[in-house]
Amino acid sequence: MTGAMAAAGRCPSELDILRHLHAPQPELERHAEACPGCAARISEALRSAETFRRQVFPATLDSVVERSRPWRPRAWMLAPIPALAAAAVLVLLVRPTMPPPDYVGVKGGLALSVYVRDAGGEGARAASDGQVVPPDAAIRFEVRAARACHLWLVSVDASGQVSRLHPATGDPPRVKGDTVLPGGAMLDGTPGPERLFAVCTPSPLPFAEVERIARAAAPGGETSVRSLRTLPDLPNGALQATVLLEKRR
Amino acid sequence: MHKDDEHAHRVARLYREYGPAVYHRCLRLLREPEAARDATQEVFVKLVRNADRLSDPDGALPWIYRVATNHCLNEARNARMRRRPAANEEALELAPAETPSLPDGRLARELLSRFDARTQAIAVGVLVDGLEHEELAGALGISRKTVQRTLARFLFQARALLAGGAT
Repeated sequence: MTGAMAAAGRCPSELDILRHLHAPQPELERHAEACPGCAARISEALRSAETFRRQVFPATLDSVVERSRPWRPRAWMLAPIPALAAAAVLVLLVRPTMPPPDYVGVKGGLALSVYVRDAGGEGARAASDGQVVPPDAAIRFEVRAARACHLWLVSVDASGQVSRLHPATGDPPRVKGDTVLPGGAMLDGTPGPERLFAVCTPSPLPFAEVERIARAAAPGGETSVRSLRTLPDLPNGALQATVLLEKRR
Repeated sequence: MHKDDEHAHRVARLYREYGPAVYHRCLRLLREPEAARDATQEVFVKLVRNADRLSDPDGALPWIYRVATNHCLNEARNARMRRRPAANEEALELAPAETPSLPDGRLARELLSRFDARTQAIAVGVLVDGLEHEELAGALGISRKTVQRTLARFLFQARALLAGGAT
């Protein structure tokens, strides 16, 4: 419990309750004895802490340990890449919306690879453009950017919904070269086409602008999602790449 | 000890120590055990990337509050955008647990969704979580004046939206 809280005799904040979960706070317990509302909040917090210890911790520890290791390529990421390269099915597309001032020919761009987790969660396969995947598939992404740029990853579906895939929060990260994006996404479980766009711009583009452009380009309908190959009206020097997934059971 | 074992032991110790606080925070914001479980893992992986900050509980808990709040508010927003059933539509209780009615909760969520992520975190921190302005400013890594100004703007705009919605 904070000193300010004790002095003021006020009810504990959520941060005070987090402190209590970490180490019992006698002042908070005394306050709860005279405050039924706070006693209920604290009981609820203690119950959720117990649920964590009994159920969540044992079920998720391995995943947390594995995912928090200093990054190194994992087998499921490495395996598909050579196969894809050989088969030339890696997704991509890559051209600046407008050539940069120093453009002298095809000297790079942006590629997007999508990996779909197997049902067992142990492996993953690279998805080709138009690939049929489970509607609720877990997917991960890798991009290859020929030059440094700021990356957004979004998707559009047949309802006209634009979803922000990466980054989930904050400003678009600066990427260059091959980058496996941390985290991933879970498709929404609704059958139908979903088109993913990687948009990489020389300077950070507000998400609202990317969303506006994507929504205008694919206002709804399966045909528009399938036929949309590029997002128009991106800033000069922007790179983009796209992959279509067909969500089907 | 092998380096991988060292890593596993260290992460397990930290997860056991701070996991209950992370899970409680996520469950309170997402109100759905499965979504809270997933979010807890995501948040903890983020925390462990700066594990040194977890060595001091006085500094660690405000930081946990900040990372978990930002992540879960974003999850709730994405869930609404994607109409995913995973994150409960009843997320974000914006009133004490014993009082809210469903229409009140829905109205509050709709209202909150009109604001940017930082404003949401500030509004929830002060109005729902009961943090003092200074305490919240420290937890979110912003100035007390920013909390005050943002909250005042939120209240002004929220009143205007509610007044407009009522007509």
